Amino acid sequence: MELLRRTFTANGSLDEADNAGLVAVSRLTPGTNILAYCVGLGWSLHRWSGALSALVASSLPASLIICVLTAAIVRVDRYPAVRMVLAVAVLAATLLVFSSAASLLRPYLRRPALVRASIVAIVSGAMLLADVTPVRILLLSAALGAAISGSARPSDVE
Amino acid sequence: MSAIVVYVLLLKAIATSFAGMGSLPQIQQDFVETRHALSVEQLNQAVLVGRSTPGPIGAYVVSVGYLAAGWPGAIAAWLAMMTPALAAIPLVVLMQRWLHLPRVRAAVDAVVIASAILLLASGFRMAADAWRQLASAQLSQW
Repeated sequence: MELLRRTFTANGSLDEADNAGLVAVSRLTPGTNILAYCVGLGWSLHRWSGALSALVASSLPASLIICVLTAAIVRVDRYPAVRMVLAVAVLAATLLVFSSAASLLRPYLRRPALVRASIVAIVSGAMLLADVTPVRILLLSAALGAAISGSARPSDVE
Repeated sequence: MSAIVVYVLLLKAIATSFAGMGSLPQIQQDFVETRHALSVEQLNQAVLVGRSTPGPIGAYVVSVGYLAAGWPGAIAAWLAMMTPALAAIPLVVLMQRWLHLPRVRAAVDAVVIASAILLLASGFRMAADAWRQLASAQLSQW
């Protein structure tokens, strides 16, 4: 995202305010943030053609490489040594899962938002332990967040 | 598993997440626990492949699609990954109109927090399974 910002601000296609708007949109769009950022950027530059070409360009190369790698792993997975290496690599990859979760939580760890964030986190955790499905947890959390928002200001977070 | 089912399940998982890896809990639920289309080990491999590749973090779903239904599944997963991103276009307009409202902002924030909690739980499950796999691989070597 930072590389895209630098490239497009350098050639004058994007200013800092536009970039901030695109970052906010990418955070609010379901799914992968960088894809939403690319779609927003493509849309602001060339409308539909820009959005679609940005979307394909940002997702197709990685997807092809992933298919080839997956096919290769499926073939060599039966060897114990390979399985051991894969298990170690998966353990390392879990660190990334934790860091993704941490980066999502980080903006809410500041004082004004902390209490509401803690309530939502505790209730979500309780629902998880009660075997509530992920989609229901997200929907109920949204309802809870709206219900306890009270006098919250948009500037409370970020 | 058919490519259409792969598309629908992945779209559901991706459309209800707010980060690349945020779809993992729902994918775990649908593909591993409910439909048994993948083993926990295969899902872990998909995450690993996704992480070993440059590009979007959420692209690991393509590997999920491939493992569940071959090349048609991979294409379905690629389409499922791209579909929610198109929501960015109307969102640019909607954000300017609604996001300043405290309740809307609070609801969005709550969804982000809940998805982080779900992600932490998935991380613990992944680590536990990888640890078991490592132990069994060591045993089979001896």
